Amino acid sequence: MLHRLRFIPARLIQSIPVAFGVTLIVFFMAHLLPGNAALALLGQRATAESVAALTTQLGLDRPLPEQYLIFLAQLFQGNLGTSLTYQVPVSDLLVQAVPVTLALLLYALILSLFISIPLAALAAFRPGGSRDLGVRGFTLVGQGMPQFWVGIMLLLIFAVRFRLFPVGGYGTTQLDHLYFLFLPALTLAISMSPTIIRSLRSSMINVLESEYVGTAKSKGSYGISLFRGHVLRNAAIPTVSVIGVNLGFLVGGSLVIERVFALPGLGSLMINSIFSRDFPTVQGVTLFVALFVVVIGILTDVVYTMLDPRVDMSKAVRA
Amino acid sequence: MKRHSTLVVAAVAAATALALSGCSSSTPASNAAASSSPVKGGALTMAWSADVLSMDKTTTFDNNSIRVMEQIMEPLFQASPDGTKLEPWLATGYTISDDKLTYTIKLREGVTFSDGTPVTSADVKFSIDEDTKTADTGWGFINAAIDKVTATDPMTVTIGLKYAWAPLIADLSLFSNGVIPNNYGGKTAEQFYTAPVGTGPFVWDAWKKGESLTLTANSKYWQPGKPYLDRVTWNVVPDATTRKLQVQGGQIDIDDTPDWSSLASLKSSAGVNALTFPSTQLDYIAFNQQKAPFDDVHIRKAISMAIDREALVKAVLFGNGAAADSLLAPGVPFYDGKTGAATFDVAGAKAEMAKSTKPAGFSTSLLISSGNPNQGAVAQIMQAELKEIGITMEIRQLDPTANKKARLASDFDMATSAWTMDIPDPDEWTSFAVDPNGGSHSTFTYYNNPDVIAINKKAQQETDDAKRQVLYTQLQTQAAADAFLAYLYYSPYVYATTDKVVDFHVTPLGNYLLQDVYKTQ
Repeated sequence: MLHRLRFIPARLIQSIPVAFGVTLIVFFMAHLLPGNAALALLGQRATAESVAALTTQLGLDRPLPEQYLIFLAQLFQGNLGTSLTYQVPVSDLLVQAVPVTLALLLYALILSLFISIPLAALAAFRPGGSRDLGVRGFTLVGQGMPQFWVGIMLLLIFAVRFRLFPVGGYGTTQLDHLYFLFLPALTLAISMSPTIIRSLRSSMINVLESEYVGTAKSKGSYGISLFRGHVLRNAAIPTVSVIGVNLGFLVGGSLVIERVFALPGLGSLMINSIFSRDFPTVQGVTLFVALFVVVIGILTDVVYTMLDPRVDMSKAVRA
Repeated sequence: MKRHSTLVVAAVAAATALALSGCSSSTPASNAAASSSPVKGGALTMAWSADVLSMDKTTTFDNNSIRVMEQIMEPLFQASPDGTKLEPWLATGYTISDDKLTYTIKLREGVTFSDGTPVTSADVKFSIDEDTKTADTGWGFINAAIDKVTATDPMTVTIGLKYAWAPLIADLSLFSNGVIPNNYGGKTAEQFYTAPVGTGPFVWDAWKKGESLTLTANSKYWQPGKPYLDRVTWNVVPDATTRKLQVQGGQIDIDDTPDWSSLASLKSSAGVNALTFPSTQLDYIAFNQQKAPFDDVHIRKAISMAIDREALVKAVLFGNGAAADSLLAPGVPFYDGKTGAATFDVAGAKAEMAKSTKPAGFSTSLLISSGNPNQGAVAQIMQAELKEIGITMEIRQLDPTANKKARLASDFDMATSAWTMDIPDPDEWTSFAVDPNGGSHSTFTYYNNPDVIAINKKAQQETDDAKRQVLYTQLQTQAAADAFLAYLYYSPYVYATTDKVVDFHVTPLGNYLLQDVYKTQ
């Protein structure tokens, strides 16, 4: 088993140029935005003189390549720089925001599996039947609904009407977090489920038609045990890739959700730092997200390898 | 599925973030509830759209930071609740020398910082000098008239001026001149402002950046029995709908900035009060006189007269506000609303166009901030109105920082903007707006009328209020005749509170004193 995970070190090494590329793109893209942090900080009283003075004070008047090299040099020492807005290390801001977003994504992933697996199974066992139509209808509607709208509707129903959950916020204790994150995670899960359901449904249909399921049935396996032992594991393989790619995009989607639910996560930090031209923070967040996506990619392959003994990623890498 | 998409996905995530815009910032309004006997204790939770940035009172310009620091550090004088007068605060009074160049200020006895150290003149001198030093990147410009601050005796401070300067006491009421311990109590400025100490009703507790900031009651506060609240927390809740639902559900006590469109439904919600307070905010259109044809007063007047301000108040503020009729807002001392500012008159506008350098009309653009629904609505209405008088107006949207950069660089034809006062003296705005040497080339219009500049200078040195009123009326009249700005509307501050919140009051300067606020059970 373990020898099939040999691809991981190679994958990690490959991620270094990816991270480097991301820093380069983000650094220069961010500086294409007109204006700088000095302008954002000085408010309605900004004058040409005060902006120039603060620009110098913040070191933003140096040539861009020089600023980029300073940023890289700091990065090699494990230092992401200082936020121009808050004047604290960017890493401090990340330490606070990252757990919020990661918890939200993980929570959403778990909820979406709870939604998707039963619905996909329901649809796949009798394709074309009324349950299948119902599930496919749900996936269409689910995909069509904008996330912020779903979020606000969930708030209106479960937080305002029935008062079961708080209206946004993050809470203070671990238990609080689980409670406060439920509705935002459910919102993300609802937007993520249709893709998972569709992928899972079609692969389940394929698996159910396969000869080995016929064999299992003829040996007397049926119902849940047939489903667990023969269908789900095989049908899950393509779906794992779908989830892996979607998690990357979900980081983007969480920007909207964090705003609606007032969560102090990476999305909020990113949006605020773009508006205030807090470039070190923008760079820090982007770098983190990029590495996160890389890690998700590797994890996807690990799960893939575990599920399907035929897959050998180390060969794929060498090829 | 194979993964060569890693970089692509990361780039898409980054691009999504870059493309996402839509943080609008607007300012709110209201009336204090009737007070019975105040209830002691309890925690007040407020929600606003953006986080605090810094507690450094000398170099921080965003309103949210200022609102918090005002609860911790207090000035010598404080604007009255109606914003037109100054009340002694950490000072008890002052005298002015005959040559108007020396102010002698007596300090209040028995005031201590929250750490128990008594406040003396040395602390006051340090605090004002600290502010003055930040003239290049901070609020120090407000102290430009001050020559020297002297701690005459422990309870007396003498301020020597470079020239006669009527707004001095108002300047001292600015938060940037708030009193802090001499020498930062032995700390560095940076250390001090991570947990500032002052004489205010609340003391620093905790700040989770991007999430919430909490202050607790100062048990040594100099006003007996106050503050009533044990604790105040400001939560960052970027989305206006979420804030509205939170106040309706009682999860928060005060929504700092409800949307104009939500006011009606908030007013009809059980247990919620939608409060409006008169502000000093003037929304206006700036004409760039460096660009033809805006150097032509007839063009500026024509545009000013083509704007239906009542329609703007209805469409943008949902009726909560008033058409602007002066350079100053009604909450600003020496405001005069009968100084001949343009009113809606299409025939008059056409007549001005006929007299102008472009009688056949022309094409131009209006710069607005993206993600600002108010400015967007103003722009669309104006576009239709200017068409009536032969002007084709393109709407140019830039995000707030890029917008500011364009205005600073004089890279615009017309721009929407707004001003709010920080001190109860018109000079803060008039010097910025009409004096090309006030730092902003007359609020980026390059307006330059020597008569107006002279009146403004005279008013700065006149300490007699009646005479100052005459001067500021002249100034408002001439500014209206020159139509260097098109005044649009005055908007109140709006706050939504639960009905448990009592005596929450906002001055026209936007500040609120939370020592007077309490919550019923």
